[in-house]
Amino acid sequence: MRATTLLVAVTFVVAGCGRPQNPPGGQPTPPPAPPPPPPAGVRVVDMIPASLSGETWQDAEPFLTVFASKPNILAASAFTPNPGGPASTTAPIYVSDDGGSTWSLRNTLPSNVQTADITHAGGESPTLYATILSTPSIALKDLETTDVLSATTMTQDATRPNTDQPFVRAIRAASTDRLYVGINDFGAPNGRTATVDVSLNGGTTFTSRRIESRNTLGQNGPSIRPAVARNNTVYVAYFGWRSNAGDTITSDIVVARDDNGATGTTPFRNLVDASDNQPGRLVATNRTIVFSNGPTLGQERIGSTLSLAVDALHSDTVYIAWADRVGSGDIQTVHVRRSLDGGVTWSNDLRTLPNTTNPALAVADDGTLGLLYQQLTGTGNASRWVNRFEQSRDGFATHKDLVLATVPANTPASQFLPYLGDYDGLLTRGTEFLGIFSANNTPDPANFPSGVVFQRRVNQATHQLLDGSGSPVAVSIDPFFFSVPVMP
Amino acid sequence: MRTRSLIALIVLISLAVPLSAQISRVALVRRSDIIFVGTVTRAGVVRVDQVFEKPGAVSLMKGDSVAVVAARAGSPPLNPGMQATFYTTGWIYGRWITVREVGHELIGPQLATVAGAGGTAHQDLVARARQQVDDADLKARIQTAAMVVVGRVEQIRPPAYTGAPAPHKRFTEHDPNWQEAIIHVDEALKGATAGERVVVRFPGSRDVAFVGTPKFAAGQEGTFLLRKDSATGSPLALMAGQTVQAYTALHRLDVLPKQDAPHVRTLMRGP
Repeated sequence: MRATTLLVAVTFVVAGCGRPQNPPGGQPTPPPAPPPPPPAGVRVVDMIPASLSGETWQDAEPFLTVFASKPNILAASAFTPNPGGPASTTAPIYVSDDGGSTWSLRNTLPSNVQTADITHAGGESPTLYATILSTPSIALKDLETTDVLSATTMTQDATRPNTDQPFVRAIRAASTDRLYVGINDFGAPNGRTATVDVSLNGGTTFTSRRIESRNTLGQNGPSIRPAVARNNTVYVAYFGWRSNAGDTITSDIVVARDDNGATGTTPFRNLVDASDNQPGRLVATNRTIVFSNGPTLGQERIGSTLSLAVDALHSDTVYIAWADRVGSGDIQTVHVRRSLDGGVTWSNDLRTLPNTTNPALAVADDGTLGLLYQQLTGTGNASRWVNRFEQSRDGFATHKDLVLATVPANTPASQFLPYLGDYDGLLTRGTEFLGIFSANNTPDPANFPSGVVFQRRVNQATHQLLDGSGSPVAVSIDPFFFSVPVMP
Repeated sequence: MRTRSLIALIVLISLAVPLSAQISRVALVRRSDIIFVGTVTRAGVVRVDQVFEKPGAVSLMKGDSVAVVAARAGSPPLNPGMQATFYTTGWIYGRWITVREVGHELIGPQLATVAGAGGTAHQDLVARARQQVDDADLKARIQTAAMVVVGRVEQIRPPAYTGAPAPHKRFTEHDPNWQEAIIHVDEALKGATAGERVVVRFPGSRDVAFVGTPKFAAGQEGTFLLRKDSATGSPLALMAGQTVQAYTALHRLDVLPKQDAPHVRTLMRGP
């Protein structure tokens, strides 16, 4: 038997740290009051498995898939490389078969070592559809597996070059999976690059549907975000980049809609803007967006932050979140707005969040909106990334908030960009919100006020990560899964 | 047995024949990223006796148990008590590891003594095989390189395209942000002349898409394996008013320490 720390998942209950020393000649300092226990039903799980306890990679840009008919099965991804190293011809995904309490990594993506962009969606359970930019070619690959728990390599449905940031959504209709892949297609004509690749036959064939109806500066912004309601209404949000001065873009925020699952010959033309009678409602116009491929918001880059969610049961209710520069000393500010009439009219900001990135929206079955985001607070060495989750049923007149993680922003040093991700993920399943974000993985309970479970080896007393032999492991960025009950 | 973890291990030995009749050790090592000596403890379970190779992120050590799935279905099972060197690739990483067997090498009489001597000599055999794999990979890169030079980076500059339109600027997080390194050739090993200067293009982007691609810095010295630029779409560059061929070094083996030059020379001389 090895005399080593027991290698098990360690649950941190938020507890007081060590007592401060008595002042010389003084009375014993009373112990600090213990922090309140984490909210009931909230789980935060560091997804790095125990067998990879020595891992120090920057596992940024996480994404999550749930399977409606198989609630125990989840799939996730991040920029996690194949542990086998640079000669690997596959990249990994994360899977859970116990509802997210534990996770394993399996090398099933056909991409050398790791992927660039990756998103995924669940089809007829447990089919998983993934869209990736593979390395080293950065070619788009549409992939699928009929069994997400299988460890065999996913099959390729389609591939092509010259695209950016694939973002896939799926829905079951007419006994078949329908896929909607938002992509920025540099091969599109006339610089109108915002595109949705539509498959009405579970990935067998795809048709590129151009959704930008107005002139651009030569392209749209990278983020094209579909959202699908259960009645097959499909919304797509995108940035209409109209002009630029260097890296400072003047952009519209646009939402298109198709009422028939994009099955017609000219889809995404059901929502027209009255100002020019063109398809695509202009939610906001003349917004300033700085596109920066360097560290700008802390160690993170900025330039294309967008999320869209539709109430799956009430397709007229749509939420959008995007980031731009307001110009009041912010680096970038996230705006959250709502439409209650299918995108025709939009509220003013329901939330305005300075120095924030990676908003992710989801709507529960009872209409409760969930909002996940990462906000940079403080300055210099005191700056922190605060990962918050908010819920509201009244357009944020009131909202219930949780801090999932508050972590140092300056450590670890970035290995590449994005530092945390160009997006994260939020979904709903039944009476829960399920989500994923990436953050500094220091196993300090103070960093995780809602509690945290580490699968990888940690030392509770010293707040250190450990490898299999018990040696300290450097702090890095890990993906964290979380679940939060829909508020009562 | 360690109580640290119980790792269900299903080891299916595919063949029970001498190594010479199987794939060579070099071929086994090439296809493997986790190599260990293990003892079958029960049907499908192997206890690790010694780890020869593993990725740094992987937690695996003596006393652990590992699940191994055979490369071919229907292989005969291992008998409890058998000891072998397992050549494997990592497949599923959870609380435990499941690996795919590439092959195995029974610890027979010819290796028992070696293994009994702390296994050091046997580990040396595996290490030597790994060196052969690494040398073969490097030699392949050398043979297909247009230039192999020992030199120093004198300058980093934005690309000076000529002869073809500069690549159209796109706003994308995956913009490679091509830069040029002007390398002074101190020693020409292939396809170059000592004293000349060479333009080498590399992605200056910090995007994840280029995280494994070598980057250059002014003052850097090294042994460089260079290919004619077929990546940027504009293969010519301007230097001192002259149009010259631009090169790239986009593979991790294309940029080596300066002190690797003698080894590169040796590989170039060999068969």
